[in-house]
Amino acid sequence: MSELTLLVLQLGFLLLLWVFVFAIVYALRSDLFGQRVRKLRPETASAAPAPAAPAAASAFPSAPVAAPAAATAPVSHAAASGGGTGELASSENATRLVITSGTKNGAEFPLGHDEITIGRSSDSAIIIRDDYTSTHHARLMQWNGRWMLQDLDSTNGTFLNGSRVTVPTPIPLGATVKVGATTFELRR
Amino acid sequence: MSDLQSVPLTGTPPEGIRRIRIPQKLRNLEFWLLLVACFINAAAIVLVQLGALGRVDTQLVLLGAGLSFLVFGLHIAMRYTARDADPFLLPIATVLNGLGIAMIYRIDIAEGDAGWESAAVRQIVWSAIAIICAIATILVIRNHRVLFRYTYLAGLLAIVLLLLPLVPGLGREVYGARVWIGIGDIATFQPGEIAKIALAVFFAGYLVRNRDSLSMVGTKFLGMQFPRARDLGPLLIVWALSMAVIVFQRDLGTALLYFGLFLVMLYVATSRLSWVVLGLSLFIGGAIIASQTLDYVGNRFANWLDPFSDDRFSAEIGGSYQLVQGLFGLANGGLIGTGWGQGRPDLTPVPQSDYIIASLGEELGLAGIFAILALYLLFVARGFRIGFAGQDDFGKLLGVGLAFVVALQVFIVVGGVTRVIPLTGLTTPFLAAGGSSLVANWIIVALLLRLSDTVRNHPRLVIDG
Repeated sequence: MSELTLLVLQLGFLLLLWVFVFAIVYALRSDLFGQRVRKLRPETASAAPAPAAPAAASAFPSAPVAAPAAATAPVSHAAASGGGTGELASSENATRLVITSGTKNGAEFPLGHDEITIGRSSDSAIIIRDDYTSTHHARLMQWNGRWMLQDLDSTNGTFLNGSRVTVPTPIPLGATVKVGATTFELRR
Repeated sequence: MSDLQSVPLTGTPPEGIRRIRIPQKLRNLEFWLLLVACFINAAAIVLVQLGALGRVDTQLVLLGAGLSFLVFGLHIAMRYTARDADPFLLPIATVLNGLGIAMIYRIDIAEGDAGWESAAVRQIVWSAIAIICAIATILVIRNHRVLFRYTYLAGLLAIVLLLLPLVPGLGREVYGARVWIGIGDIATFQPGEIAKIALAVFFAGYLVRNRDSLSMVGTKFLGMQFPRARDLGPLLIVWALSMAVIVFQRDLGTALLYFGLFLVMLYVATSRLSWVVLGLSLFIGGAIIASQTLDYVGNRFANWLDPFSDDRFSAEIGGSYQLVQGLFGLANGGLIGTGWGQGRPDLTPVPQSDYIIASLGEELGLAGIFAILALYLLFVARGFRIGFAGQDDFGKLLGVGLAFVVALQVFIVVGGVTRVIPLTGLTTPFLAAGGSSLVANWIIVALLLRLSDTVRNHPRLVIDG
């Protein structure tokens, strides 16, 4: 082995090592620099029917939101009073659940199409472990695309804008829901 | 990772399908990175043979290939049980482990060891054991929250492991530090390495349960909120524990590692700087007292401050000979190194364990050392990212703790070798010769992989009131 061959091999090895490092950095780029924003092409946007757009809706939060029909909720006495914008939360306009008080203040939970169970049991989607929450406390579910809050016979009750929920109730955007010591709201 | 590409924007998805899963995208990425990693490892061994022997000897290459099979075994196990785990941790750990084996092999050649005398063969066997331990960890622990149940058991385990080397008949003293156990002359093991995992689990569980009393109350002083005197208990206990390690086991690095781990996890759990200020002043105070009263600590400090003086360099016991030889080795390496197998790393005492960074620095140069440090950086950053993305507090703290323990260990070792801090005897994670260190670090890899899989798999929110 000549000196020169060994030198070339050494340089090649170092290069390989750095290629490996940069391959990882390249694969990580979305983590390091944030995800690239993809422009929605007009033809695909018009072709995408509304029910097929859950992924699109969460990916493009600025996409125009169809104004919900002015249908009144079956039970809306709780929604009428207190905070909230008055606009009812639906799969169209609500994308996340934001905790507004308690130990996880500020934490967010993405809203999909599945129902969200809340309670102490570890099979809940949102697990709240404090002294006031029941094992299966409440759940958020969708009726005709609208988010409804149902109390599951909890001991200490579920509150929407301060009044206790007894029957499944539609949730206005930004209205305060209280479970145990934790409050949260649905946001765009 | 972006899921956008594969979600069809046109056409209606079939009823009942809510989420289209990308089949094993992360695992496929990991597969390709692993292939590159194994190629780097094989290239390193071949280059060592070309540089030091001038010919290629297939025996050790075959042994290394066996190790690659095990790594791919771990990869396949993850395809079935942890398909959403982080794809970068395993390739990084594989490369670091392989570079370590190549350097140990190179030093074996210089010292003329072969067969079972050879540290490289032992290192390969230990790597195999460590990777099997990692596979077992991935298969047995299906959800990291199981560990939360065993918080106090983990604490007890850590104490027992720490005390084991002090048991007469079982403990072994190597280079003055009493941190080894062994049966007869064989199977020396450093239980303290495993203890650091148990401690991370214990600290995470303990802090999640008790952080309110540690973070809420206190008095404001100098712009910082200091804790009440009665809440100082845990900090003082861990401080006393690390001081006991310094005094009885005569091991400065391990003490610093444990205490630093606790301090960082305490800071992450309570987000109060006063804990760090208090802890650091306690530890620095303890270290200064130790350097005045304990001979071996005093020597380390003297070597650090003035290694090139004549009486320190030629001192019989606790001199700076090793430190200076390591620095000369690094200087000899220069920018691109002497090349695999062409330097003289064997001139430094223990070049394959404590000083493997200096050996690698000599043969791979600054470019190689920085690549290795970049790999550590990426590894630790992934660990922090996993902790950051975690939904439950226990998982968050455990992820941060496990990643930080690797980071701190690298800092203590590399800082010691390059004379940034006083030299202490710790192993470089994944690189250095030593079975216990390999087993512990591969278990850390397995736990981080498991954590990252749980984080991605369950979009859930846990609120601990």
